[in-house]
Amino acid sequence: MIIKRYNKVTSTNEIAKKIKPSPWTVILAKEQTSGYGKEKRFWFSPRGGLYFTVVLPKLEIEDLNFLTILIAYSVAKVIKEKLNLEPFIKLPNDIYLNQKKVAGILIENVIGKEVLFSIAGIGINTNIDKFPENLQNIATSIKIETKRKVKNLELLKAILFEIKEQIEKIKT
Amino acid sequence: MRFNIQFRGKEYKVEIREEEKEVKIKIGDKEFSFEREKRQSKGFSFEKRDFSKKEILAPISGIISEIFIKEGEVVEKGQKVLTLSAMKMENEIISEWRGMVKKIYVKKGDAVKKDDKLVLLE
Repeated sequence: MIIKRYNKVTSTNEIAKKIKPSPWTVILAKEQTSGYGKEKRFWFSPRGGLYFTVVLPKLEIEDLNFLTILIAYSVAKVIKEKLNLEPFIKLPNDIYLNQKKVAGILIENVIGKEVLFSIAGIGINTNIDKFPENLQNIATSIKIETKRKVKNLELLKAILFEIKEQIEKIKT
Repeated sequence: MRFNIQFRGKEYKVEIREEEKEVKIKIGDKEFSFEREKRQSKGFSFEKRDFSKKEILAPISGIISEIFIKEGEVVEKGQKVLTLSAMKMENEIISEWRGMVKKIYVKKGDAVKKDDKLVLLE
């Protein structure tokens, strides 16, 4: 698994779609200027958060139905087990802590005769100290909830390991 | 693994247990077992296609979120023709052929089912 690190990007999904790297390449950024979720909705992505896109291996079209849930499950599982928290999955693609959004997932696929390219973009509010006023009631960070700093790289590696394990299960 | 999940505004307690030959998912007081099964064939979803027609079909059910082409326009093989949102995924549908767009069967916001006709090329 190769991790390409960037300081500041528009969005890790945009970079992945542009350079189309090989499966299991990860685009990791310290901040995103135009991070987005479903329907191109803005995702607040300042420094401190964990923002990455993982290029997935070739999948069958019928596997796509489960993909978002599978990735959300992987992220929530790691947050629960590694950080000893109680995440709540709002199906299919958002993760909440204490009734506020803490992570979001956006899968993007390119499909022709078959699935040609799939990426999973993941944004986790890890070490964000404060949200803008319009987000304060709907978003939170792990640091705000636990008063502890998260080691982003360790969390990333655990999530990647979990995603790989889950994807390999559906591919067998 | 235990989770609380919310679906269409309702909250459910979910427990997932992975065993050697099956995965058990308990939702509320109902339990479902899924057998781990090796896939028999791959790519079967294309068997229904009529390859004599240059017709772009919906690979999965979803909502048409954007259309990038117009009738009468020539599209290249590999060109993005539309995006289809499904399960909160954005799916870029590309043309498998070069050809002129004869008919666009859908418009932005339409709900489509798997294998519905999207675009006809000639």
